[in-house]
Amino acid sequence: MMDDMLRRATDSQVREALEDETLGGPVRLPGGIAMPVQIERVLGFGRSFSFWPLLFGLACCAIEMMALGGSRFDMSRFGMEAMRASPRQADGMIVAGWCTTKMAPRVVRLYEQIPDPKWVLAMGSCAISGNIWDTYGVVQGIDSLIPVDVYVAGCPPRPEALWQGLEMIRDRVKQSRHAYDGLRRIPARDAMALADEGVWL
Amino acid sequence: MSGGSTGSAGSLPASLAAAGAKLERRFGVRVAGRTEFRGELTYRVVPEDWMRVLSFCRSARELAFDQLDCLLGDHLPERTDAPFEVVAHLTSHTHGHRMRVKTALAEGQGLPTATGLWPSAGFDEREAWEMFGIVFHDHPDLRRLLTTDDFDGFPLRKDFPVQGTVGGRIRTDLRGKI
Repeated sequence: MMDDMLRRATDSQVREALEDETLGGPVRLPGGIAMPVQIERVLGFGRSFSFWPLLFGLACCAIEMMALGGSRFDMSRFGMEAMRASPRQADGMIVAGWCTTKMAPRVVRLYEQIPDPKWVLAMGSCAISGNIWDTYGVVQGIDSLIPVDVYVAGCPPRPEALWQGLEMIRDRVKQSRHAYDGLRRIPARDAMALADEGVWL
Repeated sequence: MSGGSTGSAGSLPASLAAAGAKLERRFGVRVAGRTEFRGELTYRVVPEDWMRVLSFCRSARELAFDQLDCLLGDHLPERTDAPFEVVAHLTSHTHGHRMRVKTALAEGQGLPTATGLWPSAGFDEREAWEMFGIVFHDHPDLRRLLTTDDFDGFPLRKDFPVQGTVGGRIRTDLRGKI
């Protein structure tokens, strides 16, 4: 119920309240209900220690992601080890590797199946921009399909880099910030609408 | 026989040498070329003999190639009369030997499908068709395998642009696919 009420609040209201350093100031919901920001802080704090990414790897970056999950780097220290094989149980996704045009619809579908709130980390140069593969089969940056919260550069990034990226995700989880704040639209859906008009993104 | 024969005559495994001799006895001058290199044997045939040679390779007792390792296409634009090539890599589990059969094709020239001999040829032929535009007649399911359905062109041809922005950043029409 809490989530529903928060979801109904406009994102800008939530963000204004969050950026308020005094903390604890109420968020005025559209129905006139006042909601203490502190609750959202508590929820975010809880979520940040059980951020479950989607078990989903696209290419070689996924090997580094597995290294982070292994005992040497051990991301279970931060409550992230439970990589869910179902998007419906996940809190976000790490797009690890290049996305081919054939894979693009599946990536968008997986993203859309993750329940809100959700966060996306683009891992590696290919997921960020397509890297050197400006070719017929590669999507030139995953952010042309789905909203991305954190970009981790590298080819592939070392597990430490991904770790730092996940820490940045955790900060955003704590603050309840999403890539789709104030946007609430999925680039792939925009592209489909534009394709109807004959425009290619 | 033509072809750059660099290996010594005795370097072929005995079973493979017998298989090659059998194939040459059967097809004689219709075999367009023979190459022997580091114990590997390659025969070049004309497209009209493609099915005949392959089915002989499959069924003859001395050859007994019961597995098609892979079937692939190639584009050699400098060979203007027959720029395309189809190569079949064969393996025999009976004799433990391998062989290669090649044929050269002109633009627009097709081949009969080998799916009747080895069902595994299905995916290989789909890929060769999708990447080079080599049509395999009577193929049961000649659809695009690795690229999207709305893809236009044959990407592994040498004249296909290496770098391209066709279709913008996403490069496929997502409508009706998600």
